[in-house]
Amino acid sequence: MLIEIKDVYKIYGEGLESEVRALDGVSLQIQRGEFVAVVGQSGSGKSTMMNVLGCLDVPTRGTYLLDGTDVRELTDKELSHIRNEQIGFIFQQYNLIQSLTVLENVELPLIYQGVGADQRREMALAALERVGLAGRIKHKPVEMSGGQQQRVAIARAIATHPPIIMADEPTGALDSHTGLEVLQFLQQLNQEGSTVILITHDNGIAATARRCVRLQDGKIVEDREQEVDWA
Amino acid sequence: MKIRQALKMALRSILGNKGRSVLTMLGIIIGIASVMTIVSVVNGQNQQSLKQFEAMGVNRISVSLSMYDGRDTFQELYNYCNSLGKDLVVGVTPSGYASATVVYGTKNSEAMQGNYENMYSEDGTVRTDLELPPDLYYGSDQYAACNNFQIEKGRDLSFLDVEQYHQVCVMGARAARNFFGYADPLGKDLMVNGYPFKVVGVYAEKDPDSPYSQDNIIVFPYTANRLISPGQSINEFVVKAASREATDEAISRLNSFLAGLTGNGERGWGNAYSDNQWQNSMNEQAAMMSMVLGGIAAISLLVGGIGIMNIMLVTVTERTREIGIRRAIGAERSSIVTQFLIEAAMLCGIGGIIGIAIGTVATRLTGQLLVKMDIWPSLSITLGAFLLSVMLGILFGIYPAAKASKLQPVEALRAE
Repeated sequence: MLIEIKDVYKIYGEGLESEVRALDGVSLQIQRGEFVAVVGQSGSGKSTMMNVLGCLDVPTRGTYLLDGTDVRELTDKELSHIRNEQIGFIFQQYNLIQSLTVLENVELPLIYQGVGADQRREMALAALERVGLAGRIKHKPVEMSGGQQQRVAIARAIATHPPIIMADEPTGALDSHTGLEVLQFLQQLNQEGSTVILITHDNGIAATARRCVRLQDGKIVEDREQEVDWA
Repeated sequence: MKIRQALKMALRSILGNKGRSVLTMLGIIIGIASVMTIVSVVNGQNQQSLKQFEAMGVNRISVSLSMYDGRDTFQELYNYCNSLGKDLVVGVTPSGYASATVVYGTKNSEAMQGNYENMYSEDGTVRTDLELPPDLYYGSDQYAACNNFQIEKGRDLSFLDVEQYHQVCVMGARAARNFFGYADPLGKDLMVNGYPFKVVGVYAEKDPDSPYSQDNIIVFPYTANRLISPGQSINEFVVKAASREATDEAISRLNSFLAGLTGNGERGWGNAYSDNQWQNSMNEQAAMMSMVLGGIAAISLLVGGIGIMNIMLVTVTERTREIGIRRAIGAERSSIVTQFLIEAAMLCGIGGIIGIAIGTVATRLTGQLLVKMDIWPSLSITLGAFLLSVMLGILFGIYPAAKASKLQPVEALRAE
C-alpha cells in the first residue's frame, strides 16, 4: 500500500464554538499506480486532504502511512525530503518562482536534492523536453501563457521522477483545450507507472479518473472505480 | 543545497531589485566608510610620529642633571654611565646643546634664523626646502651609535678628537646641504663663534620628511665646549641600552644614582627616561583615539545594520509565497535560513566593499587636506572593515531568516 490514512482529522480551532473540521475522520487507501480523483465542492476539505497527503500539513489526529512510514513521526527535515523525492506537486496557480528562468525553476527541486550542476541541467532539460518546452528555457514565467506555465510546473514536478504526482486543480486556470492537454499528460504519466492524485471540483474532470473519491463536509461520501476512455 | 547555489540565488535576488538594494546598503556604506576613515587617519598620524621616534632609535635613554649650587657633575655622571657595563649599555655620549653662530662663506646660521617665519607654505604644509639654522651638539665618539646615525662620507668623531681637543665636526645630511649645497663638505672649515672647525664626516639622512629634521645637526667633540661656550657645563647624556629590558634596568639604576646625587631632589634635579615609554604611551593614546572615534562612527554602522534587518523582514513578507513554493518542492528549513542569511551577508558585503572604496578616497582626502599627510588605509583595517560588514549582515539577517524558515509550507503557499 502506497498511501494509507486512517481516521484522519484536521480540525481548526478545536474546542471553540467556531471549530472547523476540514477533515472529519477520513480513511483512504491508495495503491501504487492508481489514478485517483478527489472531488468535492469548495469547502469540502479536498485541499486540506491534498495538503495532508502531500506532507505540507500534519493532521490533528489519525495515522498516515506513506509507503509504510508513519508520517506523523517524521521531523520537518524528513518531511522536506519526502516532498522532494516522493511527491511532485502541480498547483492551480502554477506556483513558479517569477524571478527565476524556466530552466532554473525546473532545476530547483534537483538543487535541494543536491544533484550536481551538469546532471541537474540534463534532468531538467529532459523534463522540459517531455512537456515540449525545451526551446524556451531562458524565459521568465511572466513571458509565457498560462498553459505554458503549467507545463513548466509539470516539468518541475516530474524532474525528480517522483512516484507520486499530486495535482491541485491543475486545469482550473486554463482554457478547456489546454486543460485537456494537461489531463492527457497526467494520464500518460499514470500509464508509465506514476501514482496520480488529482484534486478537482469539476465532476467532468473527475469522470476521467479511474477512481473517484467524493468528499463532502470533510467526509468521504463516495469512492468508486470508473471505466475510462483514455487515448 | 550547496553554498555556491545559495550565493548565486542571493546575488540574483539582490540584482533583481537594484534600487532597493542600493538604498538598503547606504547605511552600511556610510558606516564602513566613516569608521575606516577615522581609524585610518588616527593610525596614520600615529605611524608618522612613531617613524620619527624610530629615526631617533629605540632603547635610547636621555639623562639630564642640574645642581642648584651650580656644581659641575659632568665627570661624575659620565663615569657612572660608563660603569653600567656592556650588558646593559652599548654606548654613552654627552649630549649638550651648544649655542653658537656657524658661518661658511655667505651662509650664516644667524641669518637662517629668519627662515622660521616662512616655514609654512600657503597651503599649510611644512616646507622642507628651507635652510633653517642647525642644532649644535657636543658628543663623544659614540654619539652616532647612541642617536642612530650612520656615517656616509668621511669619518666619525674619534676618541682622539675628544682627548686632544681637535677642532673638528661631523654634519647631519641636511645641515651639510644647507651650508655646502652640492659641494663636498669634507675638509672645509666652518667658523664656529669665530673658531675654525674642520668637517670630517657627514651622516646619512635618516629623517628626510619631518619639518624639524633630525638631520639638521652639527656634532662637535664635547671637549670643544671650552672653546665654543666656555664656562658652560654639559649636563645631558644619551645612553644607548642593549635591549628593551636593559633600558628599564638602566633607567632605574640611573634614577637612583641621580636621586643620590641630588639628595632626592633637594640639591638639584635629575632624570633619566627613554622614548620607549613615550612610544608606548603614544601607541596607547592612538589606540584610545581610534576606539573612541571609531566607536562613535560604529553607531552609524549599527543603524545601517538595523536598516538591513528591516528590509530583510519586508523581503521575507513579500516572498512568503516563494518560500512556500520552495518548501513544497523540498527545501529544508536550513536551506531557507541559509538563503536569507547569505542574502543579508552579501548585501552587507557589497555595501562594505563600496564603503571601503569610499573610505579609501575619504582617508586620502582627509589625510591630505586636514592633517597634511599621505595616508593609505592599512590592509588589516581594510580586511577588518569587510569582515565587519559581512558579520553585521549575518547578525542582522538572523532574525528575518529565522522568521522565513518558521513559516509553515501550507500557510506560506496560501499567501498572495
